[in-house]
Amino acid sequence: MLITLIRRELLDNLMTFRFTAAVFIMLLLVVANTFVLIRDYERRLTSYNTAVEKHRQELLETKTYSSVDLILDRPPNPLSIFNLGLDKRLGNTLGVYYLYIPSLWDAGKHGTNNTYLNLFSSIDIVFIFEGVLSLLALVFAYDALAGERERGTLRLVLTHSVSRGQILFAKYISAMTCLLIPLLMCFLLVLIMLTTSTSIFLRTDDFLRIGGVIFTSFAYLSLFYLIGMLISAAIRRTSTALMLSMFVWGFLVLVYPNMILTAIETAPQADTETVAHNQIKQIWDEFDRERMQFLANDPVPEDDWDFGLWGKGYSFWGGRDDSPSLLYYNYSGFHFEELLEESEPQVPHAQNYHRFLGLQITNTSDRTWIVRKPALEALYVQPAKMERMLLKFSPVGLYDSATEAWTGTDLNGLQDFFTAGQRYHQAIVDFFHDKKVFESRQWFTGDKRGVDWNILPQFSFQRSDISINAKRAFPDLFLLLMINLVLFAAIFLVFVKSEV
Amino acid sequence: MIWHIAKRELYDNLSSLRFALATVLLLGLMLTNAVVHLREHPERVQRYRDRVSQYQNHIASHAANSLYDLAQEGPGNLHKKPSDLRFCAEGGEAFMSDRAWAGHHRWSTDTLKSFWILTYPSATPNRDNVRPDVTKVDWGFVIGYVLSLIALLFTFDSISGEREHGTLRLTLANSIPRHTVLIGKFLGALISVNIPFILAVLVNLLVISTSSDVHLGAEAWGRLGIIFLIAVLYTCLFLALGLLVSARVQRSAVSLVILLLVWVVFVVFMPSTLVSIAGKSTPSGPTFDFSERSWKIHGELRDEYSPRRHKEAEGSIKRIQIDGAYVTKDAEQQERLHEERLNQRIAEVHQARTITRISPVTIVQNLIESFAGTGFERHLQFLENVRAYVREFRTFIVDTDSADPESLHIFGVRTGMSQEPVNREAIPKFEDTLNLSKDFNTATMELLLLMLFVLVLLSGAYLAFVRVEV
Repeated sequence: MLITLIRRELLDNLMTFRFTAAVFIMLLLVVANTFVLIRDYERRLTSYNTAVEKHRQELLETKTYSSVDLILDRPPNPLSIFNLGLDKRLGNTLGVYYLYIPSLWDAGKHGTNNTYLNLFSSIDIVFIFEGVLSLLALVFAYDALAGERERGTLRLVLTHSVSRGQILFAKYISAMTCLLIPLLMCFLLVLIMLTTSTSIFLRTDDFLRIGGVIFTSFAYLSLFYLIGMLISAAIRRTSTALMLSMFVWGFLVLVYPNMILTAIETAPQADTETVAHNQIKQIWDEFDRERMQFLANDPVPEDDWDFGLWGKGYSFWGGRDDSPSLLYYNYSGFHFEELLEESEPQVPHAQNYHRFLGLQITNTSDRTWIVRKPALEALYVQPAKMERMLLKFSPVGLYDSATEAWTGTDLNGLQDFFTAGQRYHQAIVDFFHDKKVFESRQWFTGDKRGVDWNILPQFSFQRSDISINAKRAFPDLFLLLMINLVLFAAIFLVFVKSEV
Repeated sequence: MIWHIAKRELYDNLSSLRFALATVLLLGLMLTNAVVHLREHPERVQRYRDRVSQYQNHIASHAANSLYDLAQEGPGNLHKKPSDLRFCAEGGEAFMSDRAWAGHHRWSTDTLKSFWILTYPSATPNRDNVRPDVTKVDWGFVIGYVLSLIALLFTFDSISGEREHGTLRLTLANSIPRHTVLIGKFLGALISVNIPFILAVLVNLLVISTSSDVHLGAEAWGRLGIIFLIAVLYTCLFLALGLLVSARVQRSAVSLVILLLVWVVFVVFMPSTLVSIAGKSTPSGPTFDFSERSWKIHGELRDEYSPRRHKEAEGSIKRIQIDGAYVTKDAEQQERLHEERLNQRIAEVHQARTITRISPVTIVQNLIESFAGTGFERHLQFLENVRAYVREFRTFIVDTDSADPESLHIFGVRTGMSQEPVNREAIPKFEDTLNLSKDFNTATMELLLLMLFVLVLLSGAYLAFVRVEV
């Protein structure tokens, strides 16, 4: 009996105009946008490759250790085609210096520099599904029960020995099958376009991640279908059910996410920035006092930190005070491209000074990080988390953050890169200590033997493992599935109790 | 008779669920908008005032030193005045810098200092921002997205529904021409959509104008009136679309599906997809290229001048003249470089905006932005104001210098210019202004385009309805 019911429903749905329209419009939007998104990705990839090459060249041209610019470039994520997330927005070059511990907020950007173009919003595949899939699910669902009741066919069906649960189940299964067809077609098309593109290489992991996105889309689709069905079960007339569904859609998808974040202010505590900044400044001031003390006690009579060295191409390392990202350092150093002969007697003193300075600076930057890390969390991450939480009261928010987690374009996924950058920073500092780089001549002069940059630790970054993606996506996915269950139970209750 | 039909439509709608839901939705959105505006606007205005006084102090302190100092330092940061009608359209203000910097320095030697140039800093709110991306709820959002959806929901069944019920046949059995029925239905729907909208707008304005922190002048009210008319025109567009589809299609459900899909495509996806398809989110070259180019040009100029400079004795008139020519030429070159980059960026945005005009929601949002004094066109006006002021400032420097008999009138070098302090009252002050007639000029094209859309759709609806079988 169930099979008969499912077959009937399936045929009913497949023959309708709305099904054709759904397939057509979804395919149109997805193909057009995937084309655009792949082009955009290619552009970002080119920009990344250029930047890597340029930074590599610059490194090879550097003559001294202290002036080294180790710049890490963040590759664009190919899965950002599905959900752009923060991938395009946040910085994609990270300078690693021994002076401070790098974080997301110290990153710069290569590539586009016309900031006016930010005026135009960008789009991704999940965004299309968010808007269109939910709408289609509601369009399929609004008359599922109310329509049959109006036409009187429901009564007819119930005269047979069919339980109400069976009817509900049959309707759900068949409608979901119908909705899955355009969904899967879209994903297939996107995959075909991705694999035929020459610039995108997907690993096995990536296919599994895309599988995760598809599964999440399915849960999202089902959720909206169930919302529509609940309305259809609770309301007698189709036209009213339709109207209500449309307003529910407008509210959940269009209005709520924008309204809630406009209305609720999630600014961090006003003085977090200044307090942390002052603390960091104090730590560096302390460092400076110790430095002056060292200079006062060293064998060279004057308190002069350049020890009367002379050379060509002299340049000087100063401090930096960048309040919004809490970056502060204060360092008096120098380096020469070539040192003059008469300065040679002073070199051991300078080496001695730099040995002390190197150790002090790395220690101080570690100490400031203890203040800086929680302050940055409080300033930027906490409000963002709060806002994401608020968004999750709408299924759109849940869907968005779950797919972001799958594709690795959420905050956690991007932080992975910066954490790798921090690990690399540690590796470099350890290398400097181990190889006694701070006290070497090449630290501040570029003459004699050049520096062999190939012996430096290499940076490598892999996007996080699929299991980590799954773990990050799980809470939201679980919530989506739970809401599905609750809705189904609610529909069952309403439908069982309702008069036909 | 038209009026009779309109009245019937109106009564039908007033008691319907959609009317109640639309009212609640619009009221909620507009109230949020007003409350948020009251929370944010006073802060914004205060910040602007602080910055303006900083700018005036900056000028005054240099004017007190000498004319050379003022001419070398420049007027400093010139700030964009925040619009009082920001609640109507956010206009992506966060992505456009609220200042222009007339005081950018690049180098100094022991005897020479570079002259100021006008540069355009860019705003990068996104670099630090890890928050989710949302659209601010402003009038532009409410009108562009929500009101258009409501308009469609009010008209999708206005003809097909009656046909289904058989009442259309009944109406047409009387001696009423079809166009009367159509116009009556159109008017009825227009009024019933506008009742909740007007209500929401009134509540919004009431909340905003009761606050003592926000002052709306006569011009602001005029602008609000224009924005309201634009909203009505935009509603007409979607009502006409709804009638057109409703007349052509036999069943209301099908009509709604078509309308929703059209709406989603034109309103939600068109604006962003079109920009990307046009490929105009292309990077215009990384930033470091620009600074490299700037230093290269400077280096070439230095190499050209430095042998000539060193030939002359320090302090001789000839030397001062060469130095002056060097400094002024450098400033001119660099300023032109910045200007070129700005123009290139603007051209890119213009191109992208032209393409997105196919979507009615972009048109209406651009229009609202123009009249609310926010957004890109307004930014261009601000830049225009800045340039006019910079010209005025430079003329002032030249005039004051020529009034001093002791000066050598050679610009660019301390010894060649007047050393007298300048009266701070006499220095022209920058004030950013908005100009309604200019706004009209920039908006005309879009206004006409919107009207054209409305007319085409209305006549389409008429033709469809006249020829349809009942």
